[in-house]
Amino acid sequence: MSKYQCFIEYFEQFPLVIQLLWVISGFFMITVLVLISYLKMLRSYLRKEEEKTTKYEKEYELSLLTYLFSVNEVDEVSPEQQLIIDQLKTCSIDKLKRKILVSLLVKLKKDISGEMSESIKRLYSQTGLIGYGIAQLKSNQWHVVVKGIRELSQFHSIEVYNEIFNIRNHSNREIRKEVQLYLVSLFNFKGLVFLDDLKTPLSEWDQIQLLDELHRGETQETPNIIPWLRSENKSVVFFALKLAKTYNQFDVKNTLIDLLLHKNKEVRIQVILTLGHLNIVASKEVLKRNFNQSSQEEQVVFFKIFENLYDNNDESFLLEHIRHKNFDIKLKALSMLKKFSIDTFKNIEVLPTDIAYAKIFKFVENN
Amino acid sequence: MDTGSTHILIYVINIFFIVYTLTVVGSYVILGALSLFETITYLRKNSYVDYKQILSSTVAPSISIIAPAYNESLNIVDNVRSLLSNYYANYDVTIINDGSTDNSLEKLIEAYDLECIDYLINEQIKTQALRAGVFKSTNPAFKKLTVIDKENGGKADALNVGLNISKSDYVVCIDVDCLLLEDALQKMIKPFLETTKIKVIAAGGVVRIANSCVVKNGRLLAVNFPKKLIEKTQVLEYIRAFLLSRMAWSRLNGLLIISGAFGLFDRKITIEIGGYDTSTIGEDLEIIVRMRMHMEEQNIKYKMAYIPDPLCWTEAPDNYKTFISQRNRWTRGTIETLQKHRKIGLNYKYRLLGLLSYPYWFLYERIGPVIETIGIVYLTTLVMYQKLRWDYAFVLFILAYLFTVLFSLVAILTEEHTFHQYKDKGIGYKMILTVLLEPFTLHPLILYAAIRGNWDYLFNKNKRWGTMIRKGFQKSKVNNKKIL
Repeated sequence: MSKYQCFIEYFEQFPLVIQLLWVISGFFMITVLVLISYLKMLRSYLRKEEEKTTKYEKEYELSLLTYLFSVNEVDEVSPEQQLIIDQLKTCSIDKLKRKILVSLLVKLKKDISGEMSESIKRLYSQTGLIGYGIAQLKSNQWHVVVKGIRELSQFHSIEVYNEIFNIRNHSNREIRKEVQLYLVSLFNFKGLVFLDDLKTPLSEWDQIQLLDELHRGETQETPNIIPWLRSENKSVVFFALKLAKTYNQFDVKNTLIDLLLHKNKEVRIQVILTLGHLNIVASKEVLKRNFNQSSQEEQVVFFKIFENLYDNNDESFLLEHIRHKNFDIKLKALSMLKKFSIDTFKNIEVLPTDIAYAKIFKFVENN
Repeated sequence: MDTGSTHILIYVINIFFIVYTLTVVGSYVILGALSLFETITYLRKNSYVDYKQILSSTVAPSISIIAPAYNESLNIVDNVRSLLSNYYANYDVTIINDGSTDNSLEKLIEAYDLECIDYLINEQIKTQALRAGVFKSTNPAFKKLTVIDKENGGKADALNVGLNISKSDYVVCIDVDCLLLEDALQKMIKPFLETTKIKVIAAGGVVRIANSCVVKNGRLLAVNFPKKLIEKTQVLEYIRAFLLSRMAWSRLNGLLIISGAFGLFDRKITIEIGGYDTSTIGEDLEIIVRMRMHMEEQNIKYKMAYIPDPLCWTEAPDNYKTFISQRNRWTRGTIETLQKHRKIGLNYKYRLLGLLSYPYWFLYERIGPVIETIGIVYLTTLVMYQKLRWDYAFVLFILAYLFTVLFSLVAILTEEHTFHQYKDKGIGYKMILTVLLEPFTLHPLILYAAIRGNWDYLFNKNKRWGTMIRKGFQKSKVNNKKIL
């Protein structure tokens, strides 16, 4: 009888449960060994990929710089450039090489401007990379589509405008966001046309990215933001308020004052801050009139901007609020009173028993 | 007791342990699967994000980093420099010197040209009084820095002072000895800004172990795998906990803890709930439970976010005494919090919090070590009375060990596939060896510390914080290392 048969017979003596547990243990043991081997392979693979990436990065960086500085005035594409285009075209068939190449092109495009930046854009098309970018748009995986749009947007590829514009209302939020960024990166303020009928919310993150894209654009001629300030979509209103603030849109002051009665408190708060930023003195009386009906947050925000809008007629209003229950309002009212009307400030009576108030008063008095 | 009754009793106890173990294993498998799914989603969603965009943004929300410090003079200057070197534009740093008895304050004053200023604090949360006062730098390069020197009141009290003084929308509560990567704030703030339908009230980040890593001027230059076994096993434990457990809870929106070492909070809500509880030792767990309770009671849709990127690096205990003391404290913190908020357990009004998160923590974090200890005692008794079925015991032991190893390997593979922090050749073998040894080295210590924690909670109520002796980060030259 072989040792193997002995083992089988010994194993069969055990109750079924133990046999089953040993089988599971065996399965776990094999899985552990497989995972250990896989871990070793994975680490070697990652190390090699990193080495390859570094090598290709150096190689392509050199090619790209040669391409950029091989311009001659006779040919649209110089022979040296053609050689590099052909070489990069071949490289771009490989996924890793393509990835490295695109990231280098993006990096270069960000670092340089003018004619050279245009050359990079041309190279993106000439090497056929644009084709791979467009192919990504057809993927079933949302993150691949997003990467495709991002890439095409970075190289201002207007060729795919229709294809990208058609997915502006895509069910996936990330794709929608990327389409919006594509439109703005290509057409600057005109690209904001999607705001006209935007039904889905724009997150703060989206808004920051859109503003950043607008900053980078060459056009500084702002569009009419009034329809967006009146939008039913709350997030569009927030974005329009940011535009009003960033681009100092004094022309929209009447609309802003109307928005002080907006049903949403957060909108009203942002409107007050925008009015303060733009120094719209006309809004002060409305704000003062509405003060007691406003939420405490709105009141605090109003006092933040009040200093810039203050005139001598506001003294009584300040005096009304130097004992407001809110710490910030109390502090601001006292500070403003000291700044604008020191005599009145000196005459304020502070009871020694009111320790908290005395502390604030003393602080304002000393600073 | 007659033989029949003994058999029945043993049978019932066996069934109890088997069922309990199976639920533990089942929960690990489910959490592991959910974590992988969540990690993939996170990586896909963030693989193309240009975090630099938010840096220059004029509308980026303000963030205050609040870092309490108690007798941290060894590293404090470097640590503050690390906190000041973040790339995010709109942030400030507040160091709360919580009644240190060493020369931390003097070192800070000297290194950052600090001077005492008159400052009025809106005491929305009651705290201990200031000691030397509030300090700001006369050097414009450090204008983001504020140092507050106060009477000792513990970490929670120090954080509350920071909450009172901060004027930012968001606050990062961090241990002062933690090294933050330069892009940490951008990554942490993103979940708060990208949601539109629900409110993100807090975000937790992964904490990694910096022992043996190379640090210069408060910057992490190179990641090394530690040399001591106790440190290596903690690296493994952290990877497993952060990548395979908390990611899953984040997916379920059931996170019950955000590490006290590094978390970002909505300041308004944190103040609304009264800040950190100074009476508990596990203030990081307690505040999250209270924040969640508050949101549930207000019926506001909310989320706790979780960022798996290795953004925060900290020094872990490198000796058994400190390690046991730390884990003892964690255990007492867990018990205190679960005891304090026991009304939420299985309470349908608190939805996921009451029906899943709390029961999970109670069953596996709170009483898990107790059950394990009872199991060991039970096993010993069976051996003594020669009632142990060795054939069962042996295979179950092998099975439990292999499952632990398997789970740790999955954690390491997740790390390699995602963040691949330990790049050097040879570390793979060290990791595997650590995985194989950990159940016999770190786990018994954790169990011992947990039991000590239970004992101290029940019979030694006056015991509060242990001390963590800082060694300081490795500041040696970087040899052939890729700089992060």
